[in-house]
Amino acid sequence: MKSFGVGNGFGEALLAILQSRGRVFGPIRGADGICRLGPLTRWTSLCADPPYLPPKKYLFPPRERLWSLMADEYRRNGRPEEAMALVGLAPCDLRAIDYLDRVFADDPHYQERRRRTLLVGIACVPREECACRVGDYPPGDLFLADDRLWCGSMQGEDLVAQLRPVLGDEQDRPLPPREFVGRPQENGRLLAAFARSAGAPLWARIAQGCLSCGACSAVCPTCTCYDIVDEVLPGKAPERFRTWDNCFFSSFALVAGGHNFHRERAERLRFRFEHKFFGFGPLRGETSCVGCGRCARACPVGISLEEIRQTLLRESSR
Amino acid sequence: MTLDFVPRTAILEEIDRQVPDHHLFRFRLPNAFPIAPGQFAELTIPGIGGFAVSTAAFAAGPLFHACIRRIGRVTDALYRLPLGARVGLRGPFGKGFPLEEFLGRDVLLIAGGLGMAPLRALLQALVARRGEIGRLSLLYGAHDPRVILFKDELNALARQGLLDLHYTVDFAAEIPWRIGGIACQVGLLPQLLDTVRLRPERTVAAVCGPPGLYRCVLDELAGFGLAEEAIFASLERRMRCGIGQCCHCAVAGVYVCRDGPVFSLAQLRRMEGAI
Ligand SMILES: Cc1cc2nc3c(=O)[nH]c(=O)nc-3n(C[C@H](O)[C@H](O)[C@H](O)COP(=O)(O)OP(=O)(O)OC[C@H]3O[C@@H](n4cnc5c(N)ncnc54)[C@H](O)[C@@H]3O)c2cc1C
Ligand code: SF4
Ligand code: SF4
Ligand code: FES
Repeated sequence: MKSFGVGNGFGEALLAILQSRGRVFGPIRGADGICRLGPLTRWTSLCADPPYLPPKKYLFPPRERLWSLMADEYRRNGRPEEAMALVGLAPCDLRAIDYLDRVFADDPHYQERRRRTLLVGIACVPREECACRVGDYPPGDLFLADDRLWCGSMQGEDLVAQLRPVLGDEQDRPLPPREFVGRPQENGRLLAAFARSAGAPLWARIAQGCLSCGACSAVCPTCTCYDIVDEVLPGKAPERFRTWDNCFFSSFALVAGGHNFHRERAERLRFRFEHKFFGFGPLRGETSCVGCGRCARACPVGISLEEIRQTLLRESSR
Repeated sequence: MTLDFVPRTAILEEIDRQVPDHHLFRFRLPNAFPIAPGQFAELTIPGIGGFAVSTAAFAAGPLFHACIRRIGRVTDALYRLPLGARVGLRGPFGKGFPLEEFLGRDVLLIAGGLGMAPLRALLQALVARRGEIGRLSLLYGAHDPRVILFKDELNALARQGLLDLHYTVDFAAEIPWRIGGIACQVGLLPQLLDTVRLRPERTVAAVCGPPGLYRCVLDELAGFGLAEEAIFASLERRMRCGIGQCCHCAVAGVYVCRDGPVFSLAQLRRMEGAI
């Protein structure tokens, strides 16, 4: 893989190029001390903490218009997506975007936005609450590690060509081994333990305290459940939106007539666990939990999927 | 596959109001809408919302027929539309009944309530090839005699000897009840099972109704000796996208909207929580 030494002024030069083609977002510490993704104006304000909310909102917005009905014709949003760059993403967030790319592989709204988005990753320092499942380096356009810059795509190469004056020696070498290699997956054993756990007291016990607030899914970089809502404002055309939904809400699987397919909190917790570790549809068998730890941090009652995973494995080995 | 959210425009052309709050609607599209029995579409009432609805007819061409129960906000808005109104239609979605599995066999249809709507489409497809199937029976349970759907056409099929028809209702003013000359029992659907003469090894069954029906009937059919691969049921779920994205309909890792809504009992057995 092509890599380059980076010296002084490299970051500001990269930022200037990215800004000249569109908006640039990266993790920045706010006045309240919390790191969030936001418009990046100075390279030096990049923060190494994982942002409180993951980058998913830029590619899959919390609310997006699917069509409006004008003059008896359903029209998709005509507005072209602006170019954008997401900078300073840790491997877990890059892996999550790779997963979203597959969830929305055939989705025109997501793909249009994604095509115009550059990803600049950065090596991370693992933290206490990380349950990292990212063993390799996920795809991105550029990646920064050990004071070197790696190219991951054609667009990355184009950027490097423009940056050449501020880059050091060129070497062909692999990315440095990840300091913190993904936790062993044990997926087969986990799936068997999960299947056996249907109706087990474990789920009800843990879900008991759940407030069905939905914070866990909102902060998850790979949670993508959505609802579809129609709106018509006075004097305006009827519109349809898709908005983030949440499998912890009691209405999630409620059908007309009042039957609820996920009546109990325990069922909803189990549903989320299943989605995160075993996937749905064509992505069955893929773990989408990247182990970022955001859900456990955000949960007001301290529910942690990683703990559930370990408990299931422990109980199955007894 | 590109997943499009943009509906086609369809015109509300005819409404059959025979059964209160269970009207049969016919919509016309600008071009063909090839939807098979068991498949469904999404109907949009502009500015109000959309919902999943099965085809109630086996028909080619630019028409969509649906029997829609007035039950909530969006279906209520549909009931207020005048003839000629424009609605949106997306689909067809999902996998329907595997017709080829029914040919050359005896067929047993079991409908509970509104489950008769998708089964009517299947029944029409089977009647169109009546010569290629053995016995054709329908066990149909409804809440009360007033909400029995399509009773004139069902009775006509029975009188022509094309269909072995049995009704049951939960409530009736007097017993025994007759509907258009066909005997109707009072009681639950599974009780009707004893009234049909089954040749289990050569019978294919299709069941459609509320979740409670599946729990008892599917096991009972298997108990009679029908192969689990020859028992089909259509699942209901809350469906928002219809294309395997929004996750609302997922069960045991399967998107009911994409891989169903029709599944064989053999498949359902491998899907924890499906029934
Ligand atoms: C595959 C399939 C086939 C169906 N076929 C028929 C049919 O042939 N005839 C018929 O009358 N009904 C059918 N239904 C049920 C129909 O979709 C619901 O009755 C309808 O959504 C009710 O809408 P509502 O807004 O009037 O009800 P409300 O109770 O007011 O619904 C409130 C909200 O919940 C949503 N909702 C409720 N139930 C469902 C559901 N099952 N799926 C998705 N969203 C739901 C609605 O979109 C709405 O936003 C079918 C459902 C499925 C999944
Ligand atoms: S740790 Fe929680 S928030 Fe992070 S990817 Fe896994 S499920 Fe989502
Ligand atoms: S954040 Fe915690 S309390 Fe809120 S829905 Fe998720 S698990 Fe339940
Ligand atoms: S309805 Fe959205 S995934 Fe099935």
